[in-house]
Amino acid sequence: MKKVLLGLILVLSISSFSASAQQCDESLKKQALKEMGDSQYIKDFSIDLRKAKKDMKTGFVKFSVILHSRNQYRFTVVNHPGNPEEVVMQLFDGDRMLISNFEGGKITKAPDFVCRTTKVYHLTFSFRSGEEGCAEAVISLVKQYAEGEL
Amino acid sequence: MLKKLFYFLLILSGTQLFISCGGCSDKKSKSGDALTLNDSLISDAPLKLSEDIMGEVIQNISSPVEMANLIKSSGAEFSQRILNNPDNVSRYETSYKRALNLGVFSADLGYINIYDKNNVVVSYLLAVKNLADGIRVGQFFDFNALRRMASNSTNLDSLMEMSVTSFNKMDSYLRDQNRSNVSTLIVTGTWIEGLYIASSVVKETKSKELAIRIAEQKNIIDILEIILSNYISEPNFATLVEDIRELKAAYAPIRITTELAEPKRIEKDGTLIVIQDEISTVHYTEEQLATIMDLISKIRNKIVE
Repeated sequence: MKKVLLGLILVLSISSFSASAQQCDESLKKQALKEMGDSQYIKDFSIDLRKAKKDMKTGFVKFSVILHSRNQYRFTVVNHPGNPEEVVMQLFDGDRMLISNFEGGKITKAPDFVCRTTKVYHLTFSFRSGEEGCAEAVISLVKQYAEGEL
Repeated sequence: MLKKLFYFLLILSGTQLFISCGGCSDKKSKSGDALTLNDSLISDAPLKLSEDIMGEVIQNISSPVEMANLIKSSGAEFSQRILNNPDNVSRYETSYKRALNLGVFSADLGYINIYDKNNVVVSYLLAVKNLADGIRVGQFFDFNALRRMASNSTNLDSLMEMSVTSFNKMDSYLRDQNRSNVSTLIVTGTWIEGLYIASSVVKETKSKELAIRIAEQKNIIDILEIILSNYISEPNFATLVEDIRELKAAYAPIRITTELAEPKRIEKDGTLIVIQDEISTVHYTEEQLATIMDLISKIRNKIVE
């Protein structure tokens, strides 16, 4: 009887963990959509950073994204309240970093980027000091500029 | 006491398993493989690009929002005449045609939503539903929720988010099932229809912004050609690749040059705005653009016929 009870407790804790992981996605996404303000939703990314055993640092996740010239994009990142620190987002063109939400030792909530060349860029997400956690990022369209307006 | 606790935990664990299995239905269908198609678009041939790269590329081309926004801000009036007709759906009897036109109707929906045309949105949603069911991916779209949102223009972001999420789930499922070719057809349909609508508006309004956006697609057509070429051994794809290559050739004379400017950083209302220091310019002639737009129209009409 005791063994069955222990087994059930184990099943419960596993299923509770997976349910909270699902909530992490959904509630964060809703919050990110709210925080992007009046801008127009384009795409979202679910970020789940896990540390491999014996690793001192978490890895990072990388996504490719096509951005169009003369468009002003907003990159909203919402962290799970349980994260030990905030996720760092960086936008790269090849190996050149264009923007980051971590500048001068502080995190900016949602930086904007005015794109002037249509092509494939790369977005990366990571923790500074090798922790685990999840976050949700949304790319939204703030403004489209006319030619010569910039 | 222990017995009571046991029963309580038993009930609770049953409930937990039931709740946490909310997303398990897809997996069940996968293992049962009830979703295979008669005119199978299932490919066993080795791909030149890995499934991961294919997925990244496919998910990148799929958003019709930016083009639709640009069309609206050009000042063009809404025109249902330029869209595909939902009555055509019954004519699409193969998975190939259904997948391509699922993309076409998705782009049409993006255009309809940007203009808040609630009166026509339901027939287009139904077209998408019928086509998605026809290629056995209807389970990834909650059509009742989409219909509710579509009838309320204030929900546009939620509607777009739900559509993108549904597409991503469907794409990931299709890749699991070795059916990336279906996703490829859907994004091709979306891309072509977006350009077709833009071309129709350019012909009418001479919008410079839209014309530049069409010309800029020179970079995207290369990616599309690469992913479609993965399936060139399939007869339907061979014809489509031929059409896309003809369009690529029409894009060839267009030049895109880049120059470096001073990087700019502005802080406005507490928001950091970074203005890119690399500026691209698209060089094209009216004749080159006209040839491209005619070819887009030809390919699109072939898809919807």
